Amino acid sequence: MIVDVKNLTKRYPGKTAVDDISFDVQPSEIVGFLGPNGAGKTTTMQILAGYLPATGGSVEVAGYDVFKQSIEVRRRIGYLPENVPLYTDMRVTEYLKFRGRLKGLGGARLRARLDAVFASCGLTEVHRQIIGSLSRGFRQRVGLADSLLSEPELLILDEPTVGLDPNQIRQIRNLIRGLGERHTVLLASHILHEVEMVCNRVLIINQGRIVASDTPGKLVGLLRGNRRVSARIRGGTPQTVQRLLEAIPAVVHASCEPQGVWLQCYCESKKEDDIAEDVFRVVATNGWCLHELHEERRNLEDVFAEVTGEENGNGGGHR
Amino acid sequence: MKNFFTIWFRELSACFLSPVAYVLMVVFLAVSSGTFLLEVTQTPVLEQPLTVALFEAIVVWLTILVTVVSMRLFAEEKRSGTLETLMTVPVTEEQIVLGKYAGALSFLILVTFPIAITLLLLVAVSPSVQLADLDTGALLTGGAILILVSSLLVSVGLLVSLLTRNQVIAAICCFCAVWGVLLFGWIVTLATGGAVQVTMITVTDHIRDFSRGMVDTRPLVLYVTGTALFLFASVRVLESRRWR
Repeated sequence: MIVDVKNLTKRYPGKTAVDDISFDVQPSEIVGFLGPNGAGKTTTMQILAGYLPATGGSVEVAGYDVFKQSIEVRRRIGYLPENVPLYTDMRVTEYLKFRGRLKGLGGARLRARLDAVFASCGLTEVHRQIIGSLSRGFRQRVGLADSLLSEPELLILDEPTVGLDPNQIRQIRNLIRGLGERHTVLLASHILHEVEMVCNRVLIINQGRIVASDTPGKLVGLLRGNRRVSARIRGGTPQTVQRLLEAIPAVVHASCEPQGVWLQCYCESKKEDDIAEDVFRVVATNGWCLHELHEERRNLEDVFAEVTGEENGNGGGHR
Repeated sequence: MKNFFTIWFRELSACFLSPVAYVLMVVFLAVSSGTFLLEVTQTPVLEQPLTVALFEAIVVWLTILVTVVSMRLFAEEKRSGTLETLMTVPVTEEQIVLGKYAGALSFLILVTFPIAITLLLLVAVSPSVQLADLDTGALLTGGAILILVSSLLVSVGLLVSLLTRNQVIAAICCFCAVWGVLLFGWIVTLATGGAVQVTMITVTDHIRDFSRGMVDTRPLVLYVTGTALFLFASVRVLESRRWR
């Protein structure tokens, strides 16, 4: 395994940022690190990157102890800190050359790697610009290019898509997904959608503790609560439609609200019951029009809200 | 070793990437040569060799120059967060401290040495002074002590810069520390009412002696070991971040 964290604890005066967490990461995994602000994501990543000392526990990266063999660990990681600190007075090429040399690259190999990261991070047209004059998105890409420069075994990316526009987010997401073939990636984010799309495995951390760890699919499966079918119906009055839907044996709760000429109906059932078909039959026997019928997919957002104990307006509100 | 040169080069070029270097060079040249020329041209009978007046004028302004150059060394990196990126690449604390130190010191030498032009200026403005009047030996030893004093002061400034993330605090503390080092002998003498006479570590005396052409090996040892001490302390302070 490439990352092995055992009983890691980090205390600041008066506050425990990371509280006795253990996890491991296998080679070629893309692991998402998810949690609300202040949950301890950044602290954990800084410890993994060898920037902060831990208060207790052990952390190994590629078999080397982060505290005792720091240099060996640093040779094997690429780290993108949260706010992408850069030397704003340097040009993009100058900066990346400087970073490459510090990472032990030189000569033809440095040039080849520079060309490669310029291409993969979309920096070719700005490589002569001064970093201070670049937009937030381009700075983010310079930081990402820096972390990729030495082709590290482990990439630690702290919020890599913050401040990017939707197109750039898609590019970076594809880039990270592609990286998963050769590198191991540990990615912190609070954009749930992103984690769901990119990662093989998700660690949810809250108040310094890991509260859930599994593939996004399995985590969604673990959710408590009801299944929900949404239907848009035209034909009856809200009261009749609601009464007839509630008459379906498996339905525990139904609601109907007029939206223009349509009725927006929701039917909830127990987790093990599939009611979509029953809803369709009710509509068909009564001769109503059916505009839309689908089961609402629960997503990581719901898992996140459930395990971090925060009520979420979209996902968690109707549990 | 390669990392040391990489950081040194980056530190030196960083000075020239911003307008700070050019402003510093012009202002430093103007004020220190102005001080020197004023002293020489306004004093009817000069009681000391020209070189002493020259190097004293340089050292007075050197304190400000050292402050401006060294305050940003680490305070800036801490504030902007770039220290985090620097400390997570395979570079040791020694390489970072020594690289930055070498960068700052070489910049300082680059800025102070064009001041020799002032002597030519002096010859131009006062017909009674000839270049031949100058003692080249004294000029060289004066230059040597200037480098030694700069090495010590920059190492002090570097340590101060490591202790804070605020550049203003770094600048103020650095300025005080630099003057504290320069006047250490005087301060001890004054504080003890003359009971303790500290002569061997009075930097101002060394500057006067060396710029008169008097070479003493004891100050050499003082500056080399003093610089080493402050650099060692800096490395330890930087490392202490990872102690637990």
